[in-house]
Amino acid sequence: MFYRVGQLIPVFAGLLFAAGSATAAGTGSVKTGKLVYERYCLSCHGAEGNGQGEAAEYMAVKPRDYRQGTYKWRTTPSGSLPLDSDLEHTLLNGLHGTYMPTWRALDQRSRRDVISYIKTFSPRFATEKPQDPIVIPPDPGYSDASVARGTAVYKKYNCSQCHGPGGQGDGPSAHELKDDWGNAIVPYDLTKGHVKCGDQSTDIYRVFMTGLAGTPMPTFADSMSSADAWDLVHFIQSLSPGYAKNMMAAAADRKTGATQ
Amino acid sequence: MLNGIGAAASRHSVFARACVAVVGVGASLVTHQALASYEVMAVTNGGTIDGSVTLTGAAPGQAAIKVSKNQDYCGQTIPDPAYTVDSSGGLANVIVYLKDITKGKAAPAEPLALVNTKCMFSPRVQGAMVSQQVKISSDDTVLHNTHPQNAETNATIFNVALPFKGFSVTKPLPTMPMMIKVKCDAHEWMHAWIMELDHPYYATTSADGHFTIKDVPPGTYTLAVWHEVAGEKSAPVVVAAGQTVKPKITLAAK
Ligand code: HEC
Ligand code: HEC
Repeated sequence: MFYRVGQLIPVFAGLLFAAGSATAAGTGSVKTGKLVYERYCLSCHGAEGNGQGEAAEYMAVKPRDYRQGTYKWRTTPSGSLPLDSDLEHTLLNGLHGTYMPTWRALDQRSRRDVISYIKTFSPRFATEKPQDPIVIPPDPGYSDASVARGTAVYKKYNCSQCHGPGGQGDGPSAHELKDDWGNAIVPYDLTKGHVKCGDQSTDIYRVFMTGLAGTPMPTFADSMSSADAWDLVHFIQSLSPGYAKNMMAAAADRKTGATQ
Repeated sequence: MLNGIGAAASRHSVFARACVAVVGVGASLVTHQALASYEVMAVTNGGTIDGSVTLTGAAPGQAAIKVSKNQDYCGQTIPDPAYTVDSSGGLANVIVYLKDITKGKAAPAEPLALVNTKCMFSPRVQGAMVSQQVKISSDDTVLHNTHPQNAETNATIFNVALPFKGFSVTKPLPTMPMMIKVKCDAHEWMHAWIMELDHPYYATTSADGHFTIKDVPPGTYTLAVWHEVAGEKSAPVVVAAGQTVKPKITLAAK
């Protein structure tokens, strides 16, 4: 199931504006962030940030437990904390196919405030710095030749071990996988036409070049060239017309200012 | 828990030659407090701890690991290495380490090695210094992923794919001491343990249960052992300048 609360709540964003104290550009206010959190996030992510809010019980994919500082969608290498901009990217896009909605209707400052607040649940943010983000070279462009090369890359790198030969999430190792929190997890079905986080080609690229921390999905950055990585993105995009459609819809969204 | 036992034992007696005391065995994993940082100094005339660990009681019969995927490459079954015991009871894959040492020899310069081979990790267990590099490699044609986690919290440390034979990658271990459990998600039976300490006084027992810890500054320490199934145990050990102590440690089969 999937719902978007995005359009429902712009009123509160205005309210929250008044409550916060001014902060340096780029970083949010923990104090105001707490208010945003209690209003919008607590029911799923829990008062202690343990991912066990009231609503969580009925969800197959559980809300993130923030206490370990483990975040799946990052531009930083495997093992690193995320950048604030990574968390903001997640808030803007939501996590497709899960209960995590998009938070576009919050103003940017409220998003930054709540990000500052959720970081306080893990002591790691006080003692560690995120590593430098990976470099994603520009997309050389979708083409049949690139898809053909990407098909070979998918084979060579054995993605099929988990995602299956056709990308449907049915490889030999697809069963009995667990995440860090002990919950069952399945390899993503790559034929769905979208990934969980984001509609851009770069969103697919970063998944296998940074890995999804806390899950079995590893990083391939140490073994794969960026040319191979782009061919692999195009191969994945060839598995469903949905990717192109979603990419265009997202671009149109941005044009009309829905993203702020 | 373990700390309490160690402290109680050290009140009783001091072992001049051999450390033979058999004190509590706990099944829980070792947890380390963040200690004051370790200080490197020249160790002249240090002592040696040259001991052995034996298993008492029969190791429970171990069913072979049933291989559930990639059987064409990994085979149908793999012997369970949890208890690796020789004919005289020597127990392999035990980490032996000092618990309360704050000064001494320098950290090992070489990275650790962790090899994915025949759908298992090798070595099964090893000690490490905090922040030490670990070189991870694969001899196998099937994909593996090397996914170390904090054994206590399950938090991912990193998760790197080894997509093909011959590939290797070197990564740093965490900056805090901890017990690390390494898994390969693709092959759920694959496990390894790395005990990360903030000093270099540790060893792993060889196939005959033997271990050696060298260049120990003279003094009284707590010598601790850890085995993945038999659990933990500790006892005081006295190391005299230029001398070798030969503790014989036993762990009861579980
Ligand atoms: C209706 C339930 C729900 C609400 C409300 C909710 N979330 Fe989530 N959130 C989730 C779920 C479920 C996941 C995990 C999805 C997954 O791992 O596939 C998640 C994951 C996340 C992640 C982790 C992303 C990563 O990289 O691992 C962040 C950050 C996050 N949410 C922030 C927020 C913030 C901030 C709010 C409030 C503004 C919020 N969420 C409100 C359900 C919710
Ligand atoms: C060890 C198993 C494993 C291997 C090998 C693996 N994956 Fe994954 N992958 C997963 C799991 C599990 C998920 C689901 C994570 C989640 O939903 O939180 C996933 C998710 C994904 C996603 C979706 C991410 C999103 O944002 O929704 C993509 C894309 C992906 N994998 C691509 C690849 C590619 C390409 C390869 C090979 C280069 C690969 N994977 C190899 C287990 C694996």
